Amino acid sequence: MSKEDAADGKKKRLLKAEVVSNVLGISEPKKHKPDASLVKAQEIRNIASEEEEAMERDPQLDLNLFQASCNFLKSAIRDVKNLKANKTDATSEINSIRTDATIHFIHMKKLNRLAHFRCRKVRENTNEAKHKIDQCHLQLQNLLYEAMHLEKEITKCMEFKSKDEEIELVPVEEFYLNAPENISNPGTTSGDAHLQMLARLEWELEQRKQLSTKLTETKKSKEQISKEIQAKQDYLETLQPKLTAILQATRPVQDYLSMPYDAIKEEQQTAQHLPVPLYVLYMQTSAYKDACDKCLKVSITGDVDASKSLSTWTFEPDDESDSDQEDQEKQDTKRRRKTSEARSQEKKNRVLKKHPLSVILEICTEAFFLKVRCQHILTLSPTDGTELQLTFCYLIALNIITVNVKFTLSEKVVANSVTGGDLISSDSILDELYPGDHGNDSPNLANHFELKKHGLQDLSTYIPLIGRPYLWCQWMGGLQFLKKDMNNIEETVAGDESAGIAKLSAVRARHSISAANMQKTILLLGERIDARISLLQQLSSLERSIIPVSADSVKMFPAKINAQLSVWRRSTFEDLQSLPQAEKFIKAGLVSSSDMIFLAIIDRGSAKMTAYVVLTADCPQVAPIIIVDIMWQFQRTALNDVYVMEMEEEVNLHFHELIIGKSRKQLLPNQLQRLLMCFDVYLETDTPASSLVPVEIPKEKVIPRTSRGPARSKPYKYVPELGIFTHRCYN
Amino acid sequence: MFLKDSRQALQYMLHNVVYATRFSPCGKYIAAANKFGDVALFSLTAALSPDTCDESKCPIFSFNVCQHGGIYSLTSTETFLICAGEGDIQAYKWSDIIAKNPVMSTALGLAKKGVFSHPEINSCVIRTDNSSSTLFAGAGDNLVHSWDIESGAYLDSLSGHTNYIHTVALKNEGRGLISASEDGSAVIWDLRMKEAAHVVKPFEHDMCARPHMGQWLQCLALDEDNYWMLLGGGPTLAAWHLKTLTPTVTFDTPGVAQNVAMFYEDKIFSAGTSNIINHWSVTGEHKMAVPVSPSSIYSIDINTHSKANKVLTVAGSSDKIDVCTNFGYRAFSLSFMPPS
Repeated sequence: MSKEDAADGKKKRLLKAEVVSNVLGISEPKKHKPDASLVKAQEIRNIASEEEEAMERDPQLDLNLFQASCNFLKSAIRDVKNLKANKTDATSEINSIRTDATIHFIHMKKLNRLAHFRCRKVRENTNEAKHKIDQCHLQLQNLLYEAMHLEKEITKCMEFKSKDEEIELVPVEEFYLNAPENISNPGTTSGDAHLQMLARLEWELEQRKQLSTKLTETKKSKEQISKEIQAKQDYLETLQPKLTAILQATRPVQDYLSMPYDAIKEEQQTAQHLPVPLYVLYMQTSAYKDACDKCLKVSITGDVDASKSLSTWTFEPDDESDSDQEDQEKQDTKRRRKTSEARSQEKKNRVLKKHPLSVILEICTEAFFLKVRCQHILTLSPTDGTELQLTFCYLIALNIITVNVKFTLSEKVVANSVTGGDLISSDSILDELYPGDHGNDSPNLANHFELKKHGLQDLSTYIPLIGRPYLWCQWMGGLQFLKKDMNNIEETVAGDESAGIAKLSAVRARHSISAANMQKTILLLGERIDARISLLQQLSSLERSIIPVSADSVKMFPAKINAQLSVWRRSTFEDLQSLPQAEKFIKAGLVSSSDMIFLAIIDRGSAKMTAYVVLTADCPQVAPIIIVDIMWQFQRTALNDVYVMEMEEEVNLHFHELIIGKSRKQLLPNQLQRLLMCFDVYLETDTPASSLVPVEIPKEKVIPRTSRGPARSKPYKYVPELGIFTHRCYN
Repeated sequence: MFLKDSRQALQYMLHNVVYATRFSPCGKYIAAANKFGDVALFSLTAALSPDTCDESKCPIFSFNVCQHGGIYSLTSTETFLICAGEGDIQAYKWSDIIAKNPVMSTALGLAKKGVFSHPEINSCVIRTDNSSSTLFAGAGDNLVHSWDIESGAYLDSLSGHTNYIHTVALKNEGRGLISASEDGSAVIWDLRMKEAAHVVKPFEHDMCARPHMGQWLQCLALDEDNYWMLLGGGPTLAAWHLKTLTPTVTFDTPGVAQNVAMFYEDKIFSAGTSNIINHWSVTGEHKMAVPVSPSSIYSIDINTHSKANKVLTVAGSSDKIDVCTNFGYRAFSLSFMPPS
């Protein structure tokens, strides 16, 4: 601050003071204390002027002045002290000094005040400056922030991705090729990438617009079509009840014409609920019926609903706390302590549980007869009404099929056989349909252990309950189990390669197995019924002591046979076992305890022949065996008389000659007839006991040579063309 | 014989009758022929070996010789097995049979005379002298026929019997021949003169006649010195003195006809229509009765070709051919099985 400015400032301040005093002076009359207010104004003016003064004065100079005053004061004090000490009366001097000192003191006070003012002023300035700096700093901060924000915005902008980058555009070449000139504008766009892009986008847009219109159009047409479909559907749905009504109406006609299409359909639906093996059985049997044998009847019985609910059923015999059992227990606490018998009964029921559905196969023999007639042109008595009904059940837990047999004999069949009553019993009629298959044991070997595990007896004890698990039932159901006795069954399915393979794999129902055995089994069943009926008729005739030799066979035998059948009755295996001559047959396994044994007594004069006739279950497929014992003069059997052995050979070994065509039906009567004939020859060629005794048996037969060869064989062979008897060596 | 199943095979075995057995020249094998015209070959060596098993009791090979009837006689030369019975006489080489490939070498047949007159051959013998071999066969047409084996040419027949001939045997190194017949007579033929020298009829002789049994002669055997002749059948088995043609010793088997008999050392073996082999001393003493499997016996034979395999075999109306190592009891049985 220059001196002039300072001077100006001083003047202004003075002016201000005057103005202030003037203002105050105006108000003086009102106050009535003019002196005091004046002093006060003077003081204020002083203060203001002192402020200005402080500004104007040089602080350094003031410091010097202050130091000078201090020094003066120091010297004054010192002088006063000195004076006081030296002179007792130096008051004037002291007063003068005191006056000076007072002046200096006041001067010092003023300086001090000025210093304070100055200090305040500096502080104010400093604050002001500080404030200014703060403001600037704030501004700077704002600016920096703004700059940063802008930078961010810039980068954001830089990083911005346009939608057009995501749009898949047609390649440039294609674009120029396809787009119209007004859009592509090759002149301008080919050089500028941006314009090119724009143009391409525009083209894209154009194309998309087109496509979108197309889409809407297609959607519209689709909607229309679906509407049409719906309409047609509705129409069709209205047809259903009408059709059902029509079908319902046709039922009587179908029944009348015996074409049960609907029934078949329903049954096939039911078949869906059959267990797999029974389904295989049902399907294969039906197929076989359709293809080969129209006269079979296949049907399904049982509770369909139960089988539906059973589909989720699993076998858990170990689970003692079964839900229904629990329920029962809750209902009746007394039953909680069930007896062990009831428990085992329950367990038994569970293990032997049958599937609720079963397949019924009915074989009508009339059909079989007819078929045979067609094939062999044989005239056989029709036996309508004779029917074999097989009910196949599936044991879920044991995985086997059992069969219940019901055989109804036609009324037309006259067969009141006492001895062969059990021939057509349901228990034995299908015994050994295949060799060795008695249906006593379970074919599934696993069952043995299963039953044992649950403390049950062998399966054979439950046969009345469940039916017989014949092997062929399993085959029909496509189940093939491991074989117990290789040699025995191998023969039966010889040529069936699939069986051999199946043997090794797990037991699952397979159509191939069922199909492979179906025809044979059905044929065997038919043959069996046929055989049993004819056997029954033969037995009933034999009981009346008539050997029922058929017209076809009668020419195989001489017209006159003197030996007569007198007794035909049932015998037992035990009886046969006691005969020494039967021992070798039993030992060889040709006769077993399951066979049916009959006893025939044949007489001629005093000679009596007892013939044990052994019929196996599969008679006449397995030829009957006849074991003979002759009582004439002494007892003769195959053991002591070689001719008896030869006689047995004639009927047992050479039975093939007695089969006419392919039908073995007449085998048993023919065998017996031949036995009678041989007995005649035996008696007539026997050496007379003594020439003295008159010959009891006259020689009626024409016999060129009575003996031949080292064994002196008898001429048992009859030559029907010549009516003579000869030896078995030209057959 | 057509065998369809095992059941029929069992029947075959149950009704089997073995009419003849013959040891091979080497003594290691035995061939057996049965009423079905089949011949089975068994290995004696295998059956007699210490580590024998059931399989070695079965035929090592069997084949059909005659489809129409039985084989009644087996005769052996050094190289051939001659099978005779119904139909032609057939010769097979032993070596071929052992090699399991039998090829019929020669067939000697009789001319057919009528529908039912085709005769069977019940017994054969071969006479070998310096120049030739001759086969003599006792046949069903009451004649003894003879063939030259080398050429197969039919030579001649000896007639005289009135019923079929059961057995023929050579006498005096082939200078004579004896035949035993169903007619009850045994004829001693002079082969040079080709006529009957002597006729013996045991059924007329009080010592051995058994009218209730019949008169046929089936059993015929000569001892080594041609001093004794055994004759049996319907009549009781008796040893006849050849010089005087009288029975001197009888070997009585009540109710049982003897089919076969043989001299062995100082003993006589005989068997017939029972399951017993009788051992006799030459003086007619019944030494032993050995029970065997067949209920009627048609063949007993001792293997003289091999010392190691010296056994007695017994065959008859059974599928079993019994083998006796010690002649006093049955050691084991061979089993005749049908050809596969």
